[in-house]
Amino acid sequence: METINIFETKKKNHKQGVKESFPVTGMTCASCAASVESVLKHTEGVFDASVNFANSSVLVEYDKELSPNQLQNALREVGYDIIIDAEDPSEVQQELQQKHYQDIKNRTIWSAILTLPIFVLGMFYMQWEPGKWISLVLAFPILFWFGRSFFINAFKQAKHGKANMDTLVALSTGIAFLFSVFNTFFPEFWLSRGIEPHVYYEAATVIITFISLGKLLEEKAKSNTSSAIKKLMGLQPKTLKIIENGEEKEIPISSVQVGQTILVRPGEKIPVDGEVSKGSSYVDESMITGEPVPVQKSQGEKVFAGTVNQKGSFQFTAEKVGGETLLSQIIKMVQQAQGSKAPVQKLVDKIAGIFVPVVLGISIVTFIVWMSLGGDNAFSQALLTSVAVLVIACPCALGLATPTAIMVGIGKGAENNILIKDAESLELGHKVNAVILDKTGTITEGKPLVTDIFWKDKLEDINEYKKVLLAIEAQSEHPLAEAVVNHLKDENIEKAEIASFESITGKGVKAQTENGSPYYVGNHKLMLEKNIQIDASLMQTAESLEEQAKTVIFFGNEKQVLAILAIADKIKETSKMAIATLQERGIEVYMLTGDNNKTASAVAKQVGITTNYQGEVMPSDKAAFVEKLQAEGKIVAMVGDGINDSHALAQANVSIAMGKGSDIAMDVAKMTLITSDLQSIPKALELSKRTVLGIRQNLFWAFIYNLIGIPIAAGVLYPVNGFLLDPMIAGMAMAFSSVSVVLNSLRLKRVKL
Amino acid sequence: MKTLKFKTNINCGGCVSKVTPFLNKQEGVESWEVDTANPDKILTIESDGVTEEDVKATLQKVGFKAESVD
Repeated sequence: METINIFETKKKNHKQGVKESFPVTGMTCASCAASVESVLKHTEGVFDASVNFANSSVLVEYDKELSPNQLQNALREVGYDIIIDAEDPSEVQQELQQKHYQDIKNRTIWSAILTLPIFVLGMFYMQWEPGKWISLVLAFPILFWFGRSFFINAFKQAKHGKANMDTLVALSTGIAFLFSVFNTFFPEFWLSRGIEPHVYYEAATVIITFISLGKLLEEKAKSNTSSAIKKLMGLQPKTLKIIENGEEKEIPISSVQVGQTILVRPGEKIPVDGEVSKGSSYVDESMITGEPVPVQKSQGEKVFAGTVNQKGSFQFTAEKVGGETLLSQIIKMVQQAQGSKAPVQKLVDKIAGIFVPVVLGISIVTFIVWMSLGGDNAFSQALLTSVAVLVIACPCALGLATPTAIMVGIGKGAENNILIKDAESLELGHKVNAVILDKTGTITEGKPLVTDIFWKDKLEDINEYKKVLLAIEAQSEHPLAEAVVNHLKDENIEKAEIASFESITGKGVKAQTENGSPYYVGNHKLMLEKNIQIDASLMQTAESLEEQAKTVIFFGNEKQVLAILAIADKIKETSKMAIATLQERGIEVYMLTGDNNKTASAVAKQVGITTNYQGEVMPSDKAAFVEKLQAEGKIVAMVGDGINDSHALAQANVSIAMGKGSDIAMDVAKMTLITSDLQSIPKALELSKRTVLGIRQNLFWAFIYNLIGIPIAAGVLYPVNGFLLDPMIAGMAMAFSSVSVVLNSLRLKRVKL
Repeated sequence: MKTLKFKTNINCGGCVSKVTPFLNKQEGVESWEVDTANPDKILTIESDGVTEEDVKATLQKVGFKAESVD
């Protein structure tokens, strides 16, 4: 009986099972495979498990209540492991944000749909009695369902004795609605006193609709949660190969221990930090230094997790694993920087915080004055006018002032190849007084190119030597060789035939042509070692080129140097001008680079940065520099293109990525310059200034309306000509104010940056 | 002291490393070894109170099988 029940329960649960495949490590034979299956099958909540020993994976069907971590723990107890993709908290946040946006969108649409008939009734059928009841029925869900968040938030603020935009909306619409309901149910209260009872349903509902629209625009302008963290994590391999007792063994990265020997093959990512123990290879370290040229790593040299091995194989000893690797430190710091910024208090909420008590004060004063001076109908007039003051305090234009300007600003940016992901950057950009630039890929092209070739004087048959040089470099795996090949190919040179080729570690290469003539391509050390004579003028030229931070390559036969080549990462054409523009505007410009100090100095001078530059700066140092400037009270913009810039970008007040840079930099940054042209930076900052100006102008339009409308609602014209506020006029004034705000925002489109 | 023998699927050195921590802390086991050269992968246990059922249960926890050798 018990068996039957268990079976039934299991079968029932079976329908809610999850089927998932995981990589398994630690299996050394078919019995281990059976062992893994057995352990999983005996784990509570697991319905079935099937191991594929050939590809080291297990297909598990388990109760959805069970978490993969529990499967992992069960196997780890026995010495196996499975690899789980840790869920990225950013993804959850992104989903919530998307849902929030959708909610606001639905509310806005429904509010607009229900408001339209109310508006028509209010403007054109004011005298039609049933119209009031229809408006009442339609207005109720608009205010208290679709607009419920305003009342909820206003209540929360009130509990703390505070007021913000939501307070203003709730106050204005709530009073208007209640007053209108009263007038709909008890019109005789006013009629018996010779006063026409007005309703303000369309005022209340139009306010809700417009404010919701403003919030919708604002939400759309918000940054999508960055997926940069996930991509940084993706830089880390999930498994690695260790060498133990002379045998290769694959283990999950979480199992590696300090001191273990790790094997890296061509094209693989370095899994953890360590020191090379055997072999050598070029490694792309741009993740750390930002420099595009892979660096040779030999015995005794350090390698870092996340960097990419090129063409050789080598072994290294693990020194830092898990959370201690440099890559993990970068990830942690980017996460901290992204989460630690206090949100900038919205200007409109600051204004509302002052505006609400002022309006309440005016309303009370209005009531008192009318009670004192009103005569026969004092109470009625006092009540009517004080309510009108609260109703007329229109938040519509206030609510639209910021989002409409920002919406247009973002569109304007797109026209100028500036992608703006975060409205806050647009608001902050105009305050920037310090700009930090990365060097490689930001100021420079990020790609090494041959800038000069100097041939020995009076050399005959230069063309023949070019053929040899091309042939040698085409065969070399040195990263700079490609630059030489590209340069020579432009001259349509054919390759000479190479009979033998030999790489000389750390110095260059040696090759022989078919007729047995030897040639060398490499650095100065190689020439000295082989006793190859260097012409005095060539040597002088070489030294001069090195002063310009160019890499010098020597090409010679066994007797003499035939040519020297200068290779450099060219400075973009517009970099110098862009930097000058920023400096003219009083903005401090800094350059930080992971490259050596000599190169940093040379490039900085060429682009007009005289003192504010540093070389050999690591990613965390870049971010620390941002923090230092921020501590001095500066508003800092960081501009970069690489993974190594991601921490500093996350820390900066305004972050700008190069469109041709890494995905991670673009994900972290709130702005992206699509063309990677630095001239876009002053344009972006100018756009910010214009946008903020637009916001302020919008706020003026919002206020001018209130400045005129509130006194009229209070009844200041009554002694003059007997005029009191009419709902139709109130509605038109409200619409006019909002239209002014929108039109003023659109003016931004015609501004030249 | 009693000697217990089992046919198992403890196939290789890797498998032995999996069962090692569990057999080592099994109460009543004086010593044990697995003959991986034997096709039946004979597990020999010098028992100081451990029963055949105990051994089978322990190996099952690790996902391996044991049958008594008669």
